[in-house]
Amino acid sequence: METKLIDHLFRHHSGKMVSVLTRIFGLSNLEIIEDAVQDTFLKASISWRKQQPENLKAWLTQAAKNRVLDIFRKLKTTNKHLPELKNGTQTIAINDLFLDNEIEDAQLRMIFTACHPKLDPKDQIAFALKTISGFSAKEIASALLTKEETIKKRLSRARKVIKTKNLAFKIPQGNELPERIESVLNVIYLIFNEGFHSNKKDILIQKELCGEAIRLCKMLLKNKYTKTSDVYALFALMCFHSARLGAKINTENELLDLKTQDRNKWSFPLIQLGNVMMNKAVETENFSRYHYEAAIVGEHIKAPSFEQTNWDKILDWYKCLYQLNPTPSYLLTMAVVCLQSENYIKANYYFEQINPDDLAQRAYLFYGAKADYFDKTNNKKEALKAIDLALEKVTNKLEKEFLEKKKLAFL
Amino acid sequence: MKQFMMIFIGADYTDLGLSPEEMQARMGKWFAWGNKMGEAGILKGGEALTPQIRRVAGKDRVVTDLTSAEVKEIVGGYYTVEAKDFDAVQEIAKDFPDYDLGGTVEIREIMVFDR
Repeated sequence: METKLIDHLFRHHSGKMVSVLTRIFGLSNLEIIEDAVQDTFLKASISWRKQQPENLKAWLTQAAKNRVLDIFRKLKTTNKHLPELKNGTQTIAINDLFLDNEIEDAQLRMIFTACHPKLDPKDQIAFALKTISGFSAKEIASALLTKEETIKKRLSRARKVIKTKNLAFKIPQGNELPERIESVLNVIYLIFNEGFHSNKKDILIQKELCGEAIRLCKMLLKNKYTKTSDVYALFALMCFHSARLGAKINTENELLDLKTQDRNKWSFPLIQLGNVMMNKAVETENFSRYHYEAAIVGEHIKAPSFEQTNWDKILDWYKCLYQLNPTPSYLLTMAVVCLQSENYIKANYYFEQINPDDLAQRAYLFYGAKADYFDKTNNKKEALKAIDLALEKVTNKLEKEFLEKKKLAFL
Repeated sequence: MKQFMMIFIGADYTDLGLSPEEMQARMGKWFAWGNKMGEAGILKGGEALTPQIRRVAGKDRVVTDLTSAEVKEIVGGYYTVEAKDFDAVQEIAKDFPDYDLGGTVEIREIMVFDR
């Protein structure tokens, strides 16, 4: 009997179990809960070696219910005040918490906890990936290109803040909700970008982080209070981006820009899904950055070839974004867009408003774009100067190779 | 045909801090290995062992309770298989999934007594 397990079954289920058990025992017992869940999967992985149960999910859910009793016993010995769980209504209530819609509810509570504004943004990402997505500290570290020790510190800091600030395990309501959703979306998009822009050799890790971000976003869309137009817009945006994920790197593992990507490799189903989501997203008067960003990527996707891109429209969307949030990186992008439509005067207009130091580690992008500008306006000497500055600033290996190629073309 | 025991020795999963994803991947490999032996009709039995140890030793019968964390290597389980000779079992043992975790397979022949 060959039964293929659903991809990430354990990981996703561990997130579910941690959330449901936290709903029962509270955030203050998170560590005990995480250990208990870890133990469940350990047992499953060993006892399923020879034979897998017929209904895997039912087995896992039953195991989680059994853990409820284990944890109760454990907490009893440390003499904490606990509700009685002998029989009757309490037990029935706990059974109900393992129904699908209640599991979803518990996971949403966990998402809002992880993305609580009282937590440091870096801790939010680590904590979300650990408790909701079921990643280990080691896996988070490798996905985020950080040391495992750093992640462990972030996790324990997050737990500490949750305890000392006494954060409630709930879905925020009323006036608080929109702003809390905004911070959830922010974390989700950060996770997505960690995957999408990581340029890590291992494409699998990129895809996993992107997939996880989409999964989190989907959870928000399942709840009638949290499925706002911004959530739809972010979902659409991530679909459009993900559609291009397979085309971003060629067989030699070199980074490809939009110009050289094979558009036939873009995923049509994801584009379609993105379009459906986008239609839902625009049922509003107030557009968020996700609306505009999705519109921009959508514009790229619509173009049959790079040359046929509607740059004017894209520039307009960037202007909207800049209005919403005036940052130098938008100015840089607008300059690049003008270069594409061969409007060099306007490109320069944007370049002149940028102080490269404001771009921090991304200053190399400024010099790279500047090099293009000088090249296009027949100023070889300045172009080479700029590309050397870009090479001086760049840290990522793939990006560096990309710039070196560009330099060779100038020579 | 002879009966052999493959004894699995190494660190316990609990102490390796495997993630759910890794556990699922490991389990898949064990499952595939077990299936392969099962289909070939050579797998006769086997068990996995919990990491708790109670050791009774010496003429004073000194009792010690140990956890896997306290011993470097622990027997985690065994399979009994039917095979022609050691070389055949060695071939089977090549698919043992946990070599990369520092695991060891010890092959022992089950003794047959004259009647």
